[in-house]
Amino acid sequence: MLARVANNLYWMGRYIERSEHVARFMHVNYFSSLDAPNEHSQKRQFVLRSMRFMVGDPVSDPNEVLDEEQLLYNLGMNPDIPYSIISNVQWARENANSARDLISTELYEAINKFYHFVLNYDVDLFVKRGLYDFCVNITEMTTILRGKIRGTLLHDEVYAIIMMGMNLERATQIIRIIYTKYNDVLLARGVTGTEDAGQSFEWVTLLKCAESYDMMRRFYKKAPNTSSTLEFLILNPDCPRSVINSLNQITKHINVLDQSKNPKKDSTAFLVEKVRADLKFKYVEEIHEDIRNFIETKLNDLVNIAQKMEKEYFNY
Amino acid sequence: MITTNNQIFASYQKDPTLFDEVFDAQGEVREVYEKLFELYGNHTISNYVQLNNKAKASFFNQGITFQVYGEHETKEKIFPFDLFPRIIGPAEWDHIEKGAIQRSRALNLFLWDIYHEKKIIKDGIVPLELLSSSANYLHQMFDLDPPGGIYNHISGTDIIKHADGQYYVLEDNIRCPSGVSYVVCNRTALKRALFGVFNHCQAHTVTNYAENLLEILESVKPQGVDIPNVVVITPGMYNSAYYEHSYLAKAMGVELVEGRDLFVENDFVYMKTIKGPERVDVIYRRVDDLFIDPLEFRPDSALGVPGLFAAYRKGNVCLANAPGTGVADDKAVYTYMPEIIKYYLDESPILKNVHTYHCNRPEELRYVLEHITELVVKPVDESGGYGISIGNRLSKAEIAAVKEQIKKEPRKYIAQPIMSLSVHPTYIDESESFEQRHVDLRTFTLLGKDKEFVLKGGLSRVALKKGNLVVNSSQGGGSKDTWVLKNDQGPC
Repeated sequence: MLARVANNLYWMGRYIERSEHVARFMHVNYFSSLDAPNEHSQKRQFVLRSMRFMVGDPVSDPNEVLDEEQLLYNLGMNPDIPYSIISNVQWARENANSARDLISTELYEAINKFYHFVLNYDVDLFVKRGLYDFCVNITEMTTILRGKIRGTLLHDEVYAIIMMGMNLERATQIIRIIYTKYNDVLLARGVTGTEDAGQSFEWVTLLKCAESYDMMRRFYKKAPNTSSTLEFLILNPDCPRSVINSLNQITKHINVLDQSKNPKKDSTAFLVEKVRADLKFKYVEEIHEDIRNFIETKLNDLVNIAQKMEKEYFNY
Repeated sequence: MITTNNQIFASYQKDPTLFDEVFDAQGEVREVYEKLFELYGNHTISNYVQLNNKAKASFFNQGITFQVYGEHETKEKIFPFDLFPRIIGPAEWDHIEKGAIQRSRALNLFLWDIYHEKKIIKDGIVPLELLSSSANYLHQMFDLDPPGGIYNHISGTDIIKHADGQYYVLEDNIRCPSGVSYVVCNRTALKRALFGVFNHCQAHTVTNYAENLLEILESVKPQGVDIPNVVVITPGMYNSAYYEHSYLAKAMGVELVEGRDLFVENDFVYMKTIKGPERVDVIYRRVDDLFIDPLEFRPDSALGVPGLFAAYRKGNVCLANAPGTGVADDKAVYTYMPEIIKYYLDESPILKNVHTYHCNRPEELRYVLEHITELVVKPVDESGGYGISIGNRLSKAEIAAVKEQIKKEPRKYIAQPIMSLSVHPTYIDESESFEQRHVDLRTFTLLGKDKEFVLKGGLSRVALKKGNLVVNSSQGGGSKDTWVLKNDQGPC
């Protein structure tokens, strides 16, 4: 496979995954805030700030009043904002375009339909009444794409590269979402003092943002708290959204690209194994102790893996 | 007028001076169309509109579109496509196929000759100026033996049917002829919209083009290579034919590369893969001659590969089509085709040439200037329908301007009688009915070492504007699926 095309496929995977997480975070957060337990977290401003935090563009001025429609437009449909859903979808298609000979007709058609759906969505409808419809459509279409990727592509290097992109992005987004909701918990607590009901509520929202609430209930059979939520979303290998699960996937796929028994120290395969091992043998208490530090380290690890891949495979 | 209660043809207007592909002079449906005509007749217009929209959606979703740049936003549009196919019977097709192969072989021998001994010049069959004045006659190709002895691996021959019911060749395209992907897409779209019609369809498939192309490309591998590595090179995803490039690469199962993916080392060509360099043996290039190698041709080309031509000269890589083929699909060379076929193959041309007046010959120039209203004047080295003047469509001022231009550079122009392209019922959105529109046919011929192939089908291009004779897509043309029947009994 051409190095340039591999790079395109990798980013196609990342952008598809990213658009899904942004879309789900937006609508789950927005609508769950309507029945939030305390006044502070019920406030629309609180939710809007949380959205900005999640996409990596936090509002620094605590007195700034955010305009809801403008913010929704920027996150969803503003093509000039790099983190907007529409930008992600556009780039996903652009990358698919330049690897069009390698991906299946079915996958390309699905991406193309996805793109036209976003492009043709009525902006006015979206900011006034369409948030739920738009976001749910995005998450459903990305599920279709995932199905097409799995079901219509040969499970070879092309597939491995796309899956590497998707899983790296998923791990990154899950960590970002955890960070955002953790931050929300701190903010809510700041106003009302420690309040378990409030915390639990934010953790439920977090789990729903990661589409993992039902799985979590089945696994623990009780309401989520800080510890169980973190454990489930970070360390549970059977949860398909957990960070460790993504790292397991990345390991599996890097082994398709690099089949050496003992990967070289400077290879991507080596670094992936190292990052995965570190997480695999972690106790949730260690994470709980210093969440901020944990999150920063993990995000950094993921960036390092991406950079390593770029150097090793996409050098053209 | 029409002897049927066929609803969708109820308002079909027939111009008796034109050759209609579906209806004969008596207004009866021709035999090859009978069954299909009946089947389509079962649809009402609103039914048909629905199907038409479905077909359009199929193109749109497949991403077979081109960009229209507006003031505020760019829009994607599909190429206009007509649901009513063009049908060609087996005997007629046989004639076309034989003629297309004959032309390809003759052109190949011509190219070999003019880049080697130039016997055809020495024997006085074609004039030397024909070559020396052509910008596409590349000195770099002198005495170079392309692998397998093939220059024009892929030829696109544009054929029309005149009012006399005979086929004529309008031009040969042997640089980078495009359009074959639309042949396949048209078939796909038609099947999606009207799958019932195909249940009993006896038309030849068009999906075997790619496998034949790959075989042809593999047949011209460089010496000493066992299993050749074939790639398609494209100028990139913003090129208007990018869909076709990616389609061909995908259908052949080979890599689609850009210039920046390749490099040359010690006169061998490599591509940069995720596992390091990999040797490339055959390149189907969709980049024009002058852009393939900045060291040899245009130094400002970012699309090419430095050193590629040197590798080609050494015989370490095969380029298809060979550089320098453009000299032979020049409209001036076209006029010598009957002589060229006779000279190399000792056969008479199977497909007719349109009679051509050369403006560089004084007596013919005089005729052209005097009869300009009856002629089509074409520049010899433009493609895509640019620069064509059709005599009977021009105003007085325009005629004077065209005359001036011809007098200034007579070598640049040829003139031909205005050919009356046949017409085909075509669904027109604005009037929501079928109307006569002019059509031509581009066929695709492949030539390899000891192998030749003509795609049974082709691109029937339709001039969508009423009365318009120029069918090129860049000039607002659409296209039709083209069925070549397996037997005479009609398609179904």
